[in-house]
Amino acid sequence: MGRWLKELDQLLRGEHTRRDDLQAGRVGLPARRLAVLAAGLGLVYGASMGLFAATGGREQAWRHLVASAAKLPLLFALTLLVTFPSLYVFAALANSRLRVRETLRLLAAAITVMLGVLASFAPVTVFFTLSTDSYRFMLFLNVVFCGLAGLVGLGFLYRAVNLVFPDEAGAEEGRRARRIFRVWLLIFGVVGAQMAWILKPFVGNPQLPFAWVRDSRVSNFFEFVLRALADNWR
Amino acid sequence: MIAPRLDVEGLLRGEGLHRVGGGRPPLGRLALTLALGGALYGAVMGAFGLNAEQALDSAIKVPLLVVVASLVCLPNFWVLNLVLGLGPDFAAAWRGLLSAQATLAVALASLAPVTAFAYASTDSYESAKLLNFAVFGVATLAAQRTLARHYRPLLARDRRHAIALLAWPTLYFFVAGQLAYVLRPFIGNPKFPTVFLREHWWGNVYVDLWWAVRGL
Repeated sequence: MGRWLKELDQLLRGEHTRRDDLQAGRVGLPARRLAVLAAGLGLVYGASMGLFAATGGREQAWRHLVASAAKLPLLFALTLLVTFPSLYVFAALANSRLRVRETLRLLAAAITVMLGVLASFAPVTVFFTLSTDSYRFMLFLNVVFCGLAGLVGLGFLYRAVNLVFPDEAGAEEGRRARRIFRVWLLIFGVVGAQMAWILKPFVGNPQLPFAWVRDSRVSNFFEFVLRALADNWR
Repeated sequence: MIAPRLDVEGLLRGEGLHRVGGGRPPLGRLALTLALGGALYGAVMGAFGLNAEQALDSAIKVPLLVVVASLVCLPNFWVLNLVLGLGPDFAAAWRGLLSAQATLAVALASLAPVTAFAYASTDSYESAKLLNFAVFGVATLAAQRTLARHYRPLLARDRRHAIALLAWPTLYFFVAGQLAYVLRPFIGNPKFPTVFLREHWWGNVYVDLWWAVRGL
């Protein structure tokens, strides 16, 4: 446990993504340990999300807990799988200094940072789960936490990308590569939100029976958000 | 993994075997890259209706589309280069052309997860069509980037290369558009039976488009 916390501590302090290393196109991260760490952090937050439905007093309620804990790391892994190949191809075409392995490591680091922030919110989620029975409130709280974690993770990546492609050296090349990463950040956010929609439920509406995933082809995340906003304003 | 063997990284960066310039192009590697990348995207493209037969058909048809469209346009490109007096540079231009086709396939393959993800998010056939148009558009931009890299030294040497560089995509898209029409369906409308080629496959997309526009 202590070892893993130390690993997370080093990552969050940016010890794996030092200025000199990044500028030389090196990302010296222990990839496997990082993957295990990310999965563990995802499990922690996923379980805290699923706790709401699990404490609803229904039959086999524990399944909600297991499903959410398993699906949260999966959400990030699948989002990476969808967005990484094209990011890499376009970055390489723009002569990005990062090779395939380094690009993947950098993104994996950003995702681990996001999951680290999420896991740090887990006690808050658990606390509110035990003290409220409003499903809507829990949904809102989780969306806010995910948004905050996303922002922190993207900030981490943004800083790293600016170090890898500094302004001075190869101005045109750097500008192009930075633009590609910026577009990727946007795509990652959009895909992540919709991926969460495909993999839902995470919190679990107490009115609905347990399901590993619900039918996701009937609507999408963005339509849902717009509808929810419109309903509130009516 | 197969990507390092094919030197996909080198292809995207214009390094090593795939460096910019003359010399014999690594034909086998480029052909295999094109076939595998195109087939991978085709398989995903045809998976809209979760129909294995359509996925297999499209896996064959996407690489076929790219290869046949190139072959049909190649004689004209060769003659044009010779007429413009660019014969000595043809080897380098040919290399660039092949690399661009392989880049198209790599870009398509890299976008395959995006298409699979979008298919999981919607059951609208119209959206699937739009998405695939966009994917092919983006992949074409990637291919253009490789072609531009190969043409940079050529253009510096002789401005007339600009004519060949413009003529190639113009003719290529003209032919590829018609070929895609002949080879349809690629996505496979779930409302229609699965076939390798549509019953009235031998038509002309441009004539049909003309009548469609007149019909408005």
